Amino acid sequence: MVPERRRPPEASSKSSSSMMSESPRNRKPDLPFTPFDSTNLWCGDRHGRSFLEFSPPLVTQSNGLFGPDRETKSKNQHEPSPVDDPVMDWNPRLMLSNLSFLEQKIHQVQDIVRSIISHEDQFLDQANELAAQQQLVTADLTYIIIQLISTAGTLLPDIKNALLSTNPAVGRPGSNQKQHEILPVEVAKASQYDSLIKDLNSCGGKEDELIKCSNNSGVEASEPIPIEDHDTKDNDDGMDGENLPPGSYEVLQLEEEEILAPHTHFCLICGKGFKRDANLRMHMRGHGDEYKSPAALAKPSKEASIEPQPIRRYSCPFVGCKRNKEHKKFQPLKTILCVKNHYKRSHCDKSYTCSRCRTKKFSIIADLKTHEKHCGRDKWICSCGTTFSRKDKLFGHVALFQGHAPAIPMDDAKVLVTSDKAQVSEASSGMPGNMDYNFSGNTSLDAQSPDLKGVDDGHGCFSPMTLDACNIWGLAEFPHSAYEVSESTFSFLATVPFKGMEKIKFQAAGMMNCSEQHYPVIIYIRSNKGVQVETSIMTDAHARTVSFEVPVYSWHLNPTSAEISICRTQHERGKYYKCRIT
Amino acid sequence: MERAQQQSSDSILATLSVDLLIQILDFVADPRDRKSWRQVCRGFLHAEALRRRSLRVLRREALQGLLRRYAACLERLDLSACPSLDDHALAAALAAGAGLWRLRSINLSRASGVGWRGLAALAKACPHLEAVDLSHCVGVGDREAAALATAAGLRDLWLDKCLGLTDVGLAKVAVGCPALEMLGIKWCLEISDIGIELLAKKCQNLRVLDISYLKITNRSLQFVSSLGKLEDLSMVGCSHIDDEGLQFLNNGSNSLQSVDVSRCENVTSSGLISVIEGHKYLQNLNIGDCFPELAPLFLSKLNDLRDSLTVLKLDGFQVFAPSLKIIGLNCRNLVEIGLSKCKWVTDEGVSELVAGCVNLMTIDLTCCHLLTNKALVAIGDKCKNLTCLQLESCKLITDKGLDCIGTCCSNLEEIDLTDCTMTNAAMKYLSRCSELMVLKLGLCDKISDEGLVHIASNCKKLRVLDLYRCFEVTDDGLAAIATGCKRIKNLNLCYCTRITDLGLKHLSCLEDLHDLELRGVHCITSLGITAIANGCQHLTELDLKHCHLVDDAGLFALGQYTKNLRQANLSYCQVSSMGLCNLLGSLKCLQDVKLVHLTQVPVEGFESALRASGGRLKKLKLLTGLRHLLSPGLIQMLQDRGCRIRWVDKPLNLVP
Repeated sequence: MVPERRRPPEASSKSSSSMMSESPRNRKPDLPFTPFDSTNLWCGDRHGRSFLEFSPPLVTQSNGLFGPDRETKSKNQHEPSPVDDPVMDWNPRLMLSNLSFLEQKIHQVQDIVRSIISHEDQFLDQANELAAQQQLVTADLTYIIIQLISTAGTLLPDIKNALLSTNPAVGRPGSNQKQHEILPVEVAKASQYDSLIKDLNSCGGKEDELIKCSNNSGVEASEPIPIEDHDTKDNDDGMDGENLPPGSYEVLQLEEEEILAPHTHFCLICGKGFKRDANLRMHMRGHGDEYKSPAALAKPSKEASIEPQPIRRYSCPFVGCKRNKEHKKFQPLKTILCVKNHYKRSHCDKSYTCSRCRTKKFSIIADLKTHEKHCGRDKWICSCGTTFSRKDKLFGHVALFQGHAPAIPMDDAKVLVTSDKAQVSEASSGMPGNMDYNFSGNTSLDAQSPDLKGVDDGHGCFSPMTLDACNIWGLAEFPHSAYEVSESTFSFLATVPFKGMEKIKFQAAGMMNCSEQHYPVIIYIRSNKGVQVETSIMTDAHARTVSFEVPVYSWHLNPTSAEISICRTQHERGKYYKCRIT
Repeated sequence: MERAQQQSSDSILATLSVDLLIQILDFVADPRDRKSWRQVCRGFLHAEALRRRSLRVLRREALQGLLRRYAACLERLDLSACPSLDDHALAAALAAGAGLWRLRSINLSRASGVGWRGLAALAKACPHLEAVDLSHCVGVGDREAAALATAAGLRDLWLDKCLGLTDVGLAKVAVGCPALEMLGIKWCLEISDIGIELLAKKCQNLRVLDISYLKITNRSLQFVSSLGKLEDLSMVGCSHIDDEGLQFLNNGSNSLQSVDVSRCENVTSSGLISVIEGHKYLQNLNIGDCFPELAPLFLSKLNDLRDSLTVLKLDGFQVFAPSLKIIGLNCRNLVEIGLSKCKWVTDEGVSELVAGCVNLMTIDLTCCHLLTNKALVAIGDKCKNLTCLQLESCKLITDKGLDCIGTCCSNLEEIDLTDCTMTNAAMKYLSRCSELMVLKLGLCDKISDEGLVHIASNCKKLRVLDLYRCFEVTDDGLAAIATGCKRIKNLNLCYCTRITDLGLKHLSCLEDLHDLELRGVHCITSLGITAIANGCQHLTELDLKHCHLVDDAGLFALGQYTKNLRQANLSYCQVSSMGLCNLLGSLKCLQDVKLVHLTQVPVEGFESALRASGGRLKKLKLLTGLRHLLSPGLIQMLQDRGCRIRWVDKPLNLVP
């Protein structure tokens, strides 16, 4: 709440000073502003009215005074149109009336704040009321600021630009401030006012209703603005063929770390990072009530629509890339998202492999998902081996070339099936090692480390079955086929008799590629006597062998067989693998 | 003694060289005589094998031996009647005649067991293959088409109702067989515009194309219109095609002679006008059931086809007398006209029509209810060459009308008088037509033996006789027919309830009888059936539904003698499981059998009988109740062998 409170005095002082210098106070007694009654302030009803009634008179006043429809209209709707042609549109009388109106407005707000101070102890009891009051003040203030800016903007567009662009810097660097500035612009739409008044009149003047209404109108109004969302996927890398002459734009180059950073929005209080600002806003709610206000939760809209900003383009940090500014045929990237996607696609490892075709690799998971939607489905193949995603394209190709004919998709399906079967049989023949609790029996684990002990390399290597390395611990996430395979092969022998605390060693390869270094794993062991042991160990992604201990007292019933389940969270448990105890 | 005779006969025959024998053989036309010839000796058999060009195989067991003998010279092979033909049998048979094949044409219609392996073997063994008929093999799909496509010389291909065929299969054929001239892909519902487009681009030699009932749009016609050699285009029931599509045919770039757009509901006169404008030599135009009314402009456009148009079918239209007059004036060379189910066809209209079209040979007036004897008089007066006249349900016509037809149209070969009020007098008039081959008298309940005697007296060539529900007909009538019309092939006696075993005994001398329907003739017993089985050994279809007195003895006789029986309806007969088992086990050609309400046969009887059939059946009709009583394995086996089982659920109704 601090920033909001700090802002208005600045604005008011500015405006008042400018007004003072130009004209004496022009406060008409017949203006239908509700005289502020500090004793009645407490009453929500009065508040509602005072909040409401200031706006319609503006319309009548300007109409009566200045006649020209265009001007009143532009003012009523608070359109930024004056910016386009400021000199032509500037009307000193209009400006004067604006300023005087603002002055009145500021006085009103002052009164409200004063009354809040005088009733502080009462508010303590009723936090809700206080919040509502605060909200009113905030709304009024932001309205005033906007009004002021637009008034100034009509006079001097350059000043206005500077003002707006510096504004966010003045307040907190968060997005809340900005929001409050923008929101009322929309609220001020004449039609919105009408509906607002109607709503407020109908609702018996209750404060929470009032809040709701103003809130609603604010949200509604902000919706139609086309807001460019940075999180939306932009596939074309900004290659829209725009031909900006070099030098007409500002080139920014982000560092590799910046590009690859998983989060772009950070909480200023606890430092937690988020991919989306909406998530950040949701998170901020936990830091206090001031972040729960509708204004704080609203989507920050960009001023780009109001303010022409210098054209900004981005350069890829990879030297030699056409998207790098050093390149002689430099083609800039349009947005930060384009930079991210371009950098990952062009200069990063493609670590996501399609699980269906096992050939296509991607560096962006969204690309993989897009590919998987089409992979293997409706593949149209020509006898020459060319594949097509659409039938008509294949037939066009066949019509064009002599002797080419469509291949019958069933052929390929059969081949796949048989090869799968071969793998399965191969897998089942690959029995696990027997010396210790060697998980290498699960062939999917050790595809990348053929040098495991106790494993026959030939059998252990099933590249088509290889799973995403991240899945190693999430056994529950195994695809179905792998499940079945491992079920048949996953039995391991304990040749060491249990005495005291036994160290059980198992090996897990392929963990090295996990993005996280360490993570806990829960191991469940249950014997055929119904005893269940739970152990949690920390894995090391770089280690090939992981050990864990089983308290042997739990085996006092002399079980003959046991089952083991390994998972990352409790919820993933469910698949137990048989093991024998000797 | 016998030995000496053998040697002497050998020595006589040895003097005749093979080419002399073949020359003699050319004078032996009758198939039965040819059979005798084959049985004379090895030399004769060899000569016959060298002379034989076509072969129709009736039993799978014989296939291999036959092909080994005839492979060298055979050009046409018909396996459509060969039961339970599968890939293995076909491949083995082809291997038997390996390397000797001159085969050009093979008919595998309804051979549902043949798959891509068999077809691949066929294409490999027969390098000169030109024509393949796979119609109604519902299991045929893209793989089979791909196998066929390896026969690059293919010219004629019929794939009607190959339900699995898609654009991909069609593309395979189009690419593999660029010489294709005739192609039928009727009812291949998966084929779309894309396939037709490729076909039109790859097979520029297409002359005949049947794309009936496909879900193709106008776009297809755009490409079809580019086929320069196209003569015959059938697109029955293509509901997505409209006038816009037919306008593509306006350019006249192809030499269309025959167009069939019947049942294309979105086609109107204007589309047909553009077709007529594009093709001045159109001979055959079938526009039945498209749109209800004939536009005057269309009728006047027919004048453009004055010289060429010979066949015009207008089924289901509203045809008024003036329209028929214009047709009569404009289409003088018309040979065939179809006015079936046309409303408002009057005597006046028919008179105007025949006044112009004196060459008419076939006139279809089915269900033209307004016609009277005057129309027949006009027809008889003008159309001296008339061969076929369809008058079903023309109830105002009487015997008198036929007097004129019988006198004037001596070439009449076919007449349909079903549901007309004819009496024996009409038969007397018709008996003047000595060329008569097809006579349909269904529901003419006043016809009695006397009429049949008239027919039998002169119509020696009669092949088809339909006496459905002619109650008056008795054994005497059949005796007359049996003596007069020796060549009867199809005989329908359903519900002629006065016929007894004696009548059937008379019929047993009809050696050519193929199709006999005795449904509801409840007086006949196994005795009559035995006589028929004995005499008519070529019988292929037999309907005994509701013949309650027929028992196992009849079935034994059928099983023993009618080895060619393919279809049998035994519903409601008093047969036991033994008879049924014997019949299904011994008839090697039986493919379609209906076994509804056999009250004497227990479930085990059905089970063993169906197992005895050895998977030869292609169609089977059973009561729904048996569905869960028969062992699932049996049903599975039948279905795997390509048998379609139709389960019916109707109450036992002993009175037909």
